[in-house]
Amino acid sequence: MNNKIYKISPGFEKIMPKDYRDLVNDGPFDKKLGVKDLGTFKELIEEHPLCAGCGLALSKRLILASLPSPENTVIVGTTGCSSLSFAQVAIHNIHSIFGNQNALATGLKRALEIRFPDKTKDVVAMGGDGAIGDIGLGMVMHSWFRGEKFTTIMFDNEAYANTGGQESGMSQKGAVLNMAPTGKKYDKLPLPEIARAAGCVYSAVVTPARPKRLEKMVRRAVLLARELGPTYIQIYCPCPTNYKFKPSESLKRTKDMEKSGAYQIKEYISPAAEELIKKFEEEK
Amino acid sequence: MNQKTVINKKTSNGVNRKSISIRMSGLGGQGVITAAHIIGGAAVLDGKFSTVNPFFGAEKRLAPAESYVRISGKNIYERGEIVYPDVIMVFHPHVITMGKSYTMPFYDGLKSNGIVIINAETELDFTAEDKRNLSKIKANVFYVPATSIALDVAKTELSVNMAMMGALVGVTKIVSMGDLKESLRERFGKKKFIASATTAALDDAMKSKFAKTEQLIEKNMDVVKKAVDMVKKTAI
Amino acid sequence: MADKAIQQKIVEPEELFFKAKREKQFITGSEAVKESIKRANVDMAISYPITPQSESMHLVGDIYAQGYVKDYYRGENELGVMSAVAGASMGGVRVFTATGGQGALRAFEMFPTWAGARLPIVCAFFCRGLNSPLTIQPDTIEIGLLLDTGMLVLHAETAQDLYDMILKSFIIAEEPDVHLPVAVFADGFFVTHTREIVEIAPEDIKLPPYNPYKAPVPVMDMETPPVRQMRDPFVMKSNYVSYACHASWQQEVRAAAERARKHINKYLGGLLETGNEDAEILIMASGTAVSQSRAAIIRAEAEGLKVGLVKLKSLRPFPKDEIKALAKGKKAVIVPEFNITGWLAREIKSVVEDNSKVIGAPRVYGGMTMPPKLILEEIRRCSK
Repeated sequence: MNNKIYKISPGFEKIMPKDYRDLVNDGPFDKKLGVKDLGTFKELIEEHPLCAGCGLALSKRLILASLPSPENTVIVGTTGCSSLSFAQVAIHNIHSIFGNQNALATGLKRALEIRFPDKTKDVVAMGGDGAIGDIGLGMVMHSWFRGEKFTTIMFDNEAYANTGGQESGMSQKGAVLNMAPTGKKYDKLPLPEIARAAGCVYSAVVTPARPKRLEKMVRRAVLLARELGPTYIQIYCPCPTNYKFKPSESLKRTKDMEKSGAYQIKEYISPAAEELIKKFEEEK
Repeated sequence: MNQKTVINKKTSNGVNRKSISIRMSGLGGQGVITAAHIIGGAAVLDGKFSTVNPFFGAEKRLAPAESYVRISGKNIYERGEIVYPDVIMVFHPHVITMGKSYTMPFYDGLKSNGIVIINAETELDFTAEDKRNLSKIKANVFYVPATSIALDVAKTELSVNMAMMGALVGVTKIVSMGDLKESLRERFGKKKFIASATTAALDDAMKSKFAKTEQLIEKNMDVVKKAVDMVKKTAI
Repeated sequence: MADKAIQQKIVEPEELFFKAKREKQFITGSEAVKESIKRANVDMAISYPITPQSESMHLVGDIYAQGYVKDYYRGENELGVMSAVAGASMGGVRVFTATGGQGALRAFEMFPTWAGARLPIVCAFFCRGLNSPLTIQPDTIEIGLLLDTGMLVLHAETAQDLYDMILKSFIIAEEPDVHLPVAVFADGFFVTHTREIVEIAPEDIKLPPYNPYKAPVPVMDMETPPVRQMRDPFVMKSNYVSYACHASWQQEVRAAAERARKHINKYLGGLLETGNEDAEILIMASGTAVSQSRAAIIRAEAEGLKVGLVKLKSLRPFPKDEIKALAKGKKAVIVPEFNITGWLAREIKSVVEDNSKVIGAPRVYGGMTMPPKLILEEIRRCSK
């Protein structure tokens, strides 16, 4: 997107909403800002209706601040808690149905490649663990098998939070949730490993307790997807509402999960991706 | 074979039929659908109307296969399988003897005074009931040794359908030899014909038997001509 | 993307539809689809080989390999394909896909979603029966289920109709005052697998490209100002603003379908076609049932019976005023259908005054063709 497109025409400054003026004057477009700049610019996400202490809300804020070129990024969301905060995001984003985000992103990315052969348009598919790990898993994995060049990000709150806290495939074994009244009977899905095996050139796990690490991973994932193929990031998003802890304890819980090994930060990088990362980071 | 065309005769319901409908029954891979395509194509080349369709099923080698051809001097409206054919062609004796057919008995729906053309070396042993029914509708039953003609002349069983087309032309004169040859050329010639995967594989097999397309066409036309001569009517 | 592009001249739709000299070809319905797409300037096509299957989408793959379509792939499943074409359409390109029967139902959730998102996708549906018992045979039951998705619904009688309707659907779908998906139905096997004469335009001309910036909804390409803008509007809050928003959006989708009438009239020559409409008895039908009716009418006329024919080409928008006027003063309206539910008879009954004269028969289902004799028997019965 050329900055001429969003700049306000002379004479219209006063009638444009403040939110829009702020975006034009202090927004992140064409500025190469990052997580360290949070608080100094108008963020892409506005007030959202997610719960207090929501790990997903924090993760989304960090992701949006980490996008390497928000002015040329389109997001594909899907049903779930995360979708409640898409309407407040100031970059083009799509909500279609539950779990089809990777199939839809495939069509979108290919369409943008046809229409903008000389420009880079990043597509990022985002969804919860229900959308990505359960109902849409077939479509997610097939986008990886096909080598589609976009990034998939999972907000993993280990439950169907939007519908009231039911068990998902990403819930921990033994977790007692709705629809798992006697505890989940099988292990958390090994999705980062599945992603690696299914053709993701980059597969990473992180938590919002590590904003800089998260930012680095998002940038790597988006840049590698442009050049090489599918990338995957899984972010632990503590859910105080459904896991019944105090909103103020979200960060502590995240750290506890890391400490106990229930949630392990990791990064799988293909040899081709490794080489490219070296190049990127040298250029920087 | 001097039998005059039977298709313009008045039928029992009194309608003078200028149209003809043909049902072809055989086994998957014998070319019943290709035969229908070539006959229909020849009729279109002659300026007539034609519609052609296969039996509606999943395609499998040696499973029953059926196709339908409608030819008329006027627009053809009716669609789908031919329930009341003028002509029934049986590409393999198993259609009758082993019931490898979607239509049972094989003459079901045949119009009065209709034609049956069977590929068999010798006359088949019909049941008493079949004989009775065939006589009742005044069926004209013809035999042609299509498989041996194909093997003798074209040296391939893939030409059985050509021999069956020859028998059909011999009995009904529904299309001319010239149009048949041209239709064959359109089907196997240079212009890429769109075939389903299994049919495309058989096309390749057919083409591999002959050095050049023209040779394929000539040999197959020889098969046709021989079948025209060899098709014979028998009393039921 | 395809390595090579075929050089075709872009012409006005009117030129391609009406003026260009047409050539007769002896082809199947599936091949007619391919010929249509060849001339439609389609950017992307996505396929899935579910049973029931026709050759149409693999033939579109062949013309992609020849350079007529810019991008094409086989999707992972029906829902995936219908989602991907939605993504492509939101990304601003012209897309095509086809499905049918069980496949269509597998992907059902996407069809109202396309309409709600105002996506001008053209999708061909090749009707088949639905389980259970397992079937792949022709049957139009799915049309009744898909009538109220918000898509425009056309029903082809022949391969010729299929060729023309698909080509024209892109232009109708993309009209800024319509901008809705078009579902072009054709009866599986009866049309898809039947070889017949089809008249087609030269292959070196094609439609003008789709212009996504004429759309009434923003294209998702980050080339328009970044207001907080989402496709599609997410209005599931429990408050009256949300309710009103959703309600008016649905009304607008239906209104857009109504506005398609004038374009359907222009390009398809009307939502319906009539013959001998002055007769006391009318047959109203769509798809293959029209063909079978034509054959039955020839026989009825030979018996001295007068009967008119109304061929419905557009089912959404539904030609309700036309049908109401045509049925006025008639002795009987016979509605032959290839399904057990009788959705067309139900539709017609809902708009005809004195609907007791609407005869929902004959109905053939299970896969067999409809012998014209059955329709003739209804004509005879109504003529007494």
